[in-house]
Amino acid sequence: MASLLQNSPAQSVSRSKSNSLKFLIGGMILLGVIGFVAVNSFQANTVYYYTLSELSAQRAQLSGQTVRVSAPLDKASIQNDQKNLVLQFNLVEGDQVLPVVYRGVAPDTMSNGESVVAEGKLDANGVFQADSILVKCPSKYEKSAVQ
Amino acid sequence: MGNFGSLTIPQIAEVGNLALALGLAVSVYVVFAAVFSQLKRRGEFFASARYGIYVITGLTTLAVAILEWALLTHQFRFEYVANHVSSDQPLLYTISALWGGQEGSLLFWVWLLALFGAVVLIQHLGQTNHLIPWVIAFIAFTDAFFFSLLVFISSPFALLAQTPVDGIGLNPLLQDPGMFIHPVTQYLGYVGFTVPFAFAMAALVTGDLGYAWIRTTRRWALFAWLFLSLGLLFGMRWAYVELGWGGYWGWDPVENAALIPWLTGAAYLHSVMIQEKRGMLKVWNLVLILLTFLLSILGTFITRSGVIQSVHAFGVSSMGPLFLAYIAAVLIVFAYLLYLRLDQLKEENRLDSMWSREATFLLNNLILLGAAVATLWGTIFPMISELLAGKQITVAAPFFNQVNGPILLALVLLMGVCTLIGWRRASPQHLVRNFVPPLVVAAITTLGSVVSGVRDVYGLIAFAASAFVLTTILLEFYRGARARMRMYQENVAVAPVQLVNKNRRRYGGYIVHIGVMLAAIGIVGSTFLQTSVQKNVAPGESVALGPYTMQFQKLFMTSESNAQVIAADLIVFENGNRIDTLRPQKAYYPAADQMTTEVAVRTTLREDLYVILAGWNDDGSATLKVIINPLVVWLWIGFIVFIIGALIAMLPDPREAQAVERVRAEKVLAGAIVQ
Repeated sequence: MASLLQNSPAQSVSRSKSNSLKFLIGGMILLGVIGFVAVNSFQANTVYYYTLSELSAQRAQLSGQTVRVSAPLDKASIQNDQKNLVLQFNLVEGDQVLPVVYRGVAPDTMSNGESVVAEGKLDANGVFQADSILVKCPSKYEKSAVQ
Repeated sequence: MGNFGSLTIPQIAEVGNLALALGLAVSVYVVFAAVFSQLKRRGEFFASARYGIYVITGLTTLAVAILEWALLTHQFRFEYVANHVSSDQPLLYTISALWGGQEGSLLFWVWLLALFGAVVLIQHLGQTNHLIPWVIAFIAFTDAFFFSLLVFISSPFALLAQTPVDGIGLNPLLQDPGMFIHPVTQYLGYVGFTVPFAFAMAALVTGDLGYAWIRTTRRWALFAWLFLSLGLLFGMRWAYVELGWGGYWGWDPVENAALIPWLTGAAYLHSVMIQEKRGMLKVWNLVLILLTFLLSILGTFITRSGVIQSVHAFGVSSMGPLFLAYIAAVLIVFAYLLYLRLDQLKEENRLDSMWSREATFLLNNLILLGAAVATLWGTIFPMISELLAGKQITVAAPFFNQVNGPILLALVLLMGVCTLIGWRRASPQHLVRNFVPPLVVAAITTLGSVVSGVRDVYGLIAFAASAFVLTTILLEFYRGARARMRMYQENVAVAPVQLVNKNRRRYGGYIVHIGVMLAAIGIVGSTFLQTSVQKNVAPGESVALGPYTMQFQKLFMTSESNAQVIAADLIVFENGNRIDTLRPQKAYYPAADQMTTEVAVRTTLREDLYVILAGWNDDGSATLKVIINPLVVWLWIGFIVFIIGALIAMLPDPREAQAVERVRAEKVLAGAIVQ
C-alpha cells in the first residue's frame, strides 16, 4: 500500500499538522463564503417597518423601495373584486389615510381584521402597491399571511 | 377519563394547581438530593431522588389527566377550556386542544420530560452508572423551570368568574389531522434532546468524557432527531394542505425555530461517529449537543411565548426573562465545566488526509452549522433590532433561500462524495474509479432534464447533483449486496436485506440519505418549476394550465358540524381526457368567526395539481387559483424513506459491540499498523 511508506511516525505527525492547517484554512474559506453570501443577501432582504406618518414624511426617498407598513384597517373601505382578484382597502392612523391595492387572493381573515401589515411599494400616486399582506385579528390567533 | 367524584370545579382546579406546585417542590428537591448524594457519597439520597422522579411523573400525569378531562367534558369554567374547545368541536380536536394552547402545551412539555426521566431510570435499573445521578439532577432542574412557568406565569387551571355557555373553540386552522400530530412529534423531538444533553452535562461533571455518554444516548439522540423530522414533515404537510397558498415552507420564524435544532442535531449525529471511530472532536460534540438542546428550548420559547406573532403563538406573555434566565444558567454552568475539563478533552488522533471520510464529516458539520447560524441570524435579528434599536424590521424569505440554497446544494454533493471516500485516506485511483459512474448518471440526468423542458439553471444543477448522489448510494448498496452474494451464496432478494440487517447503523444512515435526496428532488421541482394561473369562471367555463383543463360546474353549500362550507365542483381533463373531479372549498367557522381555505389536490408521481377556491360571486361564478407543483410528492416520499432509515439505524446493531472492541484494539495499535 502506498500509504505504508509515508507512515513513519515523524512524517505522519508533520503531515497531520499540515492537514489540520489545510483543513482550518479550507474551513475558514468556506465559512467566509457563507458569511459573505449571508451578509450581502441580508442587506438586500431586510425590510423596514414604517408607520403611516413616517411613510408620508419620507415619501420622496421611500417611493419605489420595498417597505412594510403596519396600521389599523378601515373595514368599511374594503373592496374585494373577486372576479379580477383585486383587493383594495385603506389603512388609517390619526388623520393619515393610505390606500392599498393588493392583486391576489384576499386572506380568509380580511373581513374581521383589525390591522394589516402590508409589504410593497408606494407608487407615484401615493397608492401602496402591496406584494403581500398579513392580517392581524383580535382573536387569540393573530396571523394569516398570503404571499 | 378521570372520575373526580363529588369535587366541585374550583376544588378540581385546586387539585391541578397543587399537583403543579408539588411538582415544582419535588423537582427542586430531586436536584439537591441527587447532587448531594454524589458530593457526600450518600446513596440513600440518590434513592430518594429516584423516587422523586417517579413522583414528578405521577404529578404531571395527574395534571394532564385533569386538564384533558376538563376539555373532554367541556368544563368551560376553566379559562383554558373555554378558549380552546367549543361544544360542537370534533372529538379529535377536543383531545388535541391539550397541546393547542400555551398553558396546555407547556404542561405537555413537562409531562413528556417527566416521562423521559422515568424511562431513563428504568433503562438503567439495576446498573451502577455513575452518570445517572447527574442526569437526573439536570432533568429535574429543567422540570423545575417548566413547572415554575406553569405555577407562576400561566396556569392551565385558571378559572373564569362565570361559566360561559360555550367556548371559543380551537383555531379552525388547527382543526386538521396534521395539526393533531404535528405538535406531539415536534415536542417529542424538542424534549427528547434533553436526555443526551443531560448525559453530556453528567459526563462533564464526572470527568468521564470518553465515548460512554454518547453511546448511552445514541438512540435518544436519534429518537429526538427523528421526531424533529416528523414534526417538520407534519408541519409542512399541514401548511401545504391547510394554509392554501401552494407551498409548504415560508421561512416563518417558528418554522425556522424547528429547523435550526434539526440542523445542529444532524451535525451532532455525524460528528459523534468521528469520536467513536477516531477519538476526535470531543469538545465539538459537547458543544453541538449543547447548541441542539438550547435551540430546542429557544424553539419552544419562540413558538410559545408570543415573542413572534404567528399561528403558533398565543399573545405576548412575560415568559421571556425566565426563558433567558434558564438558557443563561445552562450556558454558564456548561462553560464553567468545559473550562475545568479542557485538558481531559484532548484529541486522540489527528486528521490523516483531506481526502478521508473524517474530512467530509467535518465539512458536513461546518455546512450544517453555517446553515443553522445563518437561519438563526435571520430569525432573531428582527427581535434584537427591535429590542436594541427600537426599529422594527423583517428579514424576507429570499434571504433564507439565497443563503441556504447553495449551502444545502453543497451538503447534498458532500453526501455523495462522503459515500465514495473511505475512512482515514483514499487513494486517487480509487476515487476516480468511484466517481466515474455517478458522474455519467448525473450527465445523463442533466441531458434528460433539458430535453424534457427544464431550463432553469439552478434546477438543472440540483437535479444533476441529486442524480450523482443517488447513484453513489445505490452503487454502495449494489457493491455490498454483490459481495454478499459471492461470499455467502445469497440470492438477489436476500443479499440487500441481509446487507442492511448486518450493519443497520451504516445502511440505515444511507437510507436516510436516500430519503433526503428524494426530498431534495421534490423541493427543487416545486421551487423552480412551479406554474400557476388565476381566473374567474362562470359555470361551464374552464381554466387551463399545462396539460390540464378544469371545467367549472357549479358552486354549492353544505354544512359540517361546526362549519358552513362553500365548494366548487370541477371536472379535470388531461390532454382532453376526463381524469378526475376536484372540489376546492372554503369553510366558515361561526364560533371563531373565521374562514379557512380547503384546497383540492390531485397528486401523481410527476406533479401535484393544486386548486384553490379563491372567491365566488353572486352571479354564480367562481375565482380559481390553479398551481402545478412538479415532483412535490417526492418530498413526502423522501420523508417516509428517511424515517424508515432512521428507524433501521435505531435498531440494536450486532456490529455495535464489535465496533467498540475494534476501536479499543485500534487505539492500542494506532500508529504502528496500517489498516
